[in-house]
Amino acid sequence: MHTFVEFTIFGLILGGVYGIAASGLVLTYNTSGIFNFAHGAEAMLGAFLYWQVRFGWHWPAPLALLFVLGVFGPLMGGVLYLLIMRGLRDTAEVTKIVVSVALMLGMLYLSVWIWNPSTPRTDEKFFGSRSGVHLFGTIVTTHEMIALAAAVVIAVGLRMLFYRTRAGVAMRGAVDDPNLLQLNGHNPERLAAFSWALGAFLAVLAGVLITPISGGAVEANALTLLVIDAFAAAMFGRLRSVPRTFVGAVVLGLANNYVAAYFPKTWSWASNFRISLPMITLFLVLIVLPQDRLRGASIQRSRERSRVPSVRTAAIAGVALVTVVILLRQLMVDSDITALTIGLTFAVIALSLTLLTGYAGEMNLAAVSFGAIGTLIVFHLGVHGHGLAARTTIGGILLGVLVTAVVGAIVALPALRLRGLYLALATMAFAVFMTAMVLHDGQPHKLPLLHSSFSFFPLGTMIIPAPKVGPIDLQDGTTFLMTATVVFALIGTGLIALRNSSFGRRLTAMKDSPAASATLGQNLIKLKLSVFMLSAAIAGLGGILMSAAFTSVTPDHFSVFVSLALLMLVVVSGITYVTGALLGGLLAGVGFSLIVATFNALSLEHASLHGLFAMLAHLAAVAPALIGIGLGRSPSGSVHDIVESYRHMRDAKGVLLGGAITEAAVYLLTLGGIVTNWWFAILTVVVILLLPVVGQMVKPEAFLGEAEVARRRAEVPLALVGIDTPYTRQMRDEIDRALGMEITPELAASILESTDAPA
Amino acid sequence: MPLLETAAVSVRFGGNVALSGVSIAVEPNTVTGLIGPNGAGKTTLFNVITGLQRPAAGHVLLSGADVTHMSPYKRAQRGLARTFQRLELFISLSVRDNIRVAGDMRNASRRGPRIDVGREADRVIELTGLADVAGRDVAEIPTGRARVVELARALMTDPKVLLLDEPASGQTEQETETFGELLRRLAGDGLAICLVEHDVSLVMQVCSTIYVLDYGAVLASGTPAEIREDPAVITAYLGTTEGVA
Repeated sequence: MHTFVEFTIFGLILGGVYGIAASGLVLTYNTSGIFNFAHGAEAMLGAFLYWQVRFGWHWPAPLALLFVLGVFGPLMGGVLYLLIMRGLRDTAEVTKIVVSVALMLGMLYLSVWIWNPSTPRTDEKFFGSRSGVHLFGTIVTTHEMIALAAAVVIAVGLRMLFYRTRAGVAMRGAVDDPNLLQLNGHNPERLAAFSWALGAFLAVLAGVLITPISGGAVEANALTLLVIDAFAAAMFGRLRSVPRTFVGAVVLGLANNYVAAYFPKTWSWASNFRISLPMITLFLVLIVLPQDRLRGASIQRSRERSRVPSVRTAAIAGVALVTVVILLRQLMVDSDITALTIGLTFAVIALSLTLLTGYAGEMNLAAVSFGAIGTLIVFHLGVHGHGLAARTTIGGILLGVLVTAVVGAIVALPALRLRGLYLALATMAFAVFMTAMVLHDGQPHKLPLLHSSFSFFPLGTMIIPAPKVGPIDLQDGTTFLMTATVVFALIGTGLIALRNSSFGRRLTAMKDSPAASATLGQNLIKLKLSVFMLSAAIAGLGGILMSAAFTSVTPDHFSVFVSLALLMLVVVSGITYVTGALLGGLLAGVGFSLIVATFNALSLEHASLHGLFAMLAHLAAVAPALIGIGLGRSPSGSVHDIVESYRHMRDAKGVLLGGAITEAAVYLLTLGGIVTNWWFAILTVVVILLLPVVGQMVKPEAFLGEAEVARRRAEVPLALVGIDTPYTRQMRDEIDRALGMEITPELAASILESTDAPA
Repeated sequence: MPLLETAAVSVRFGGNVALSGVSIAVEPNTVTGLIGPNGAGKTTLFNVITGLQRPAAGHVLLSGADVTHMSPYKRAQRGLARTFQRLELFISLSVRDNIRVAGDMRNASRRGPRIDVGREADRVIELTGLADVAGRDVAEIPTGRARVVELARALMTDPKVLLLDEPASGQTEQETETFGELLRRLAGDGLAICLVEHDVSLVMQVCSTIYVLDYGAVLASGTPAEIREDPAVITAYLGTTEGVA
């Protein structure tokens, strides 16, 4: 009985803190329509800053709290809204999700930059861990009582805010119809900014309260994930209701403690289970949520644009890619070859996102976790031979891909009836679950009946030998590189063929208007399920190749943060383009880590410039997140911008030829060892980016059309028309149109005669 | 027997009654009009019929079968098609692909024999007079034409019942006239058409039966001539008879 009461009390306390975090999430979602994936990271930053001022600089606790909760939290929320989130109106849900994911990753990198993770830090409880009251043989500390009291105050306070105050009632209406709200004399922008400030305050409060309760270690990834657990609580209230969110939070808190109290100690998986409990709950809640009303096209002219190449163009591009990689191979040493191979396998995983998100408009925040499924299958069932002779078999790869597709279906099924955001959350729950339950399952379990022991991830590392298919042995670096390139080119071309097929058109239709698709007879669940399975299969194949390219993998290779960074970089590059997958995959797989590593190496070599290079390395680490956050301004992605600029270059063949010659010269110089590979890379990027600019300067007709160029050349300030230059026919027509005068041909002729004659 | 019937359909949004006990019948070979002031519940009724909105009470019958609890796509596969008042075009696709994809969906549902989607799309484009804009992006064409694209898309599914939600709004006078002709032709081919429209003269010209909705209830029903003379309708909706052509 004592155990029960004790764990109930601690369950209530934990639930209270979950509730504080989750209610902040519900608040911002309801006033701005943006589900804030960075909520956990806000809490994390708050906990770090509190540690800094309280224990780093030894401020008194009240002052530290005032600064962190009263100034930093609200300021952060308000600024985030005004600078970033406000710009996301009229963008697709994908863009909204990716921007807040980018924000979360950016905050994580930032915390690593400021607070070096190798130094341990501890937040202590308010009034220490001894102050408190004795209850049923255990101490409930003052800190924990404060946490519980804060939760109660906030639950009651939010309820009052929403139902008793004018601003609160308006907030509830803000997301449904901002225009209507404006007509009623409210400023939806100000309300949203206020709610973001309040939301960030709640996140920071939760972060400061929960850190000492969960052990006290101030650690960036763990803290971010801890508050992500609150997502599950928010789901209880369907992201709408604050009271139900608090109920959900308490259920989670209690369940967490009861598992700790009553699961037998011999169950080696119990503690992993406890960690993934919120995500399992999230999943279960999704299953019982009632179906959403079918959504129509939320935006008639979305800002996201794309062009679909023909299959022929795609095939030519595929051959070109293989050729380019063959040429690059000549410049590279062995370690570069492995790096590029890893990058290309990431690009294969990225293709799964092109299909799912780019074509079908659905989200997957766990691409790399599906890669982990494929890898696990290959590790346990797909390896032939021992020691150095061990090879991954083709049968193993096929089985891995197949199982990944099936797991994909199981993950997606509960969320398919619901809006896109819920599928995104379901996949994220899956990613966290995979990491906690499966990939950290290193201890062998005794299997009942079979009398053998088994663990998913023995000792925390898996060796995946190189695949061997007939005569093709990927043990050889060059063979692996070329195989990965060909696999990417084939799947990429296949995807473009698919996009141009009946299936692809139906996917696009579903993405643009689910309601119209359903009323035309399309079974949306079946279509979503098939595309999700196909996408999971591609991710599985990419994951197997990635693991083989790394040779040995750890759970960190498959963490949810890797999936999120990959998704962000692919969206930034251009989610609707196969080229976007290539660029995003290369950046996620090798690009940024390579840049960071280079700067770090430079800072070690040049001691005098250490500070500068170390700073550049940090900047490079934060850069991808910054680019992601900037997505609100150019939501179609960078590949789209480049494709658009090159589309006009067809009429400027001379410039293209010049560019090709320059690039060939740079290549030959590098091959001859006259310039280094780094210069080759930098010059290539410069040529690619500058070519359209040069084209526009040399041959403006190709970009603007002949008429526009002629017009621009002849442009006279409007006020001077008729004074310095005579009226042109064109100008007269324009004025007539502007005035709404309809000029018959006869009338026009007579006017022309009378005015043209004297000139 | 009517192809489409609603029996005492009621819908509530929170405390507001959007529809109360609405019963209408749509016969084949005819155009049935549904008119009424804004907010009368016309679009809500269409949403209930197509399955996008679940009614609080009442039934929807399609060819005599109760489809009230059937999902939207299954109703569509049984021959129900619609257009939307707020355009729901597939904005990433060209006009031609917007029409083609409906044929793709028909083939994917394995209902009836496989059709040659390209050829069928050409036929529908010809029928609806969209040939001049077929290659353009749907986002580029004027609203009046975009509404015809929605009609063409619906026709690709080979429907028996066609619900049109304000198809003439945004059309020029010329376009509306051609559109009226087209509706009569389609009805002549055996379709049961239900038309929601604010252009009363169009409704009076093409419809053989008219229902008038007001505050979520059927205020009157009958032939155009009966509706024109109905005192309740005149007070609630039409105003004076002079306004009606």
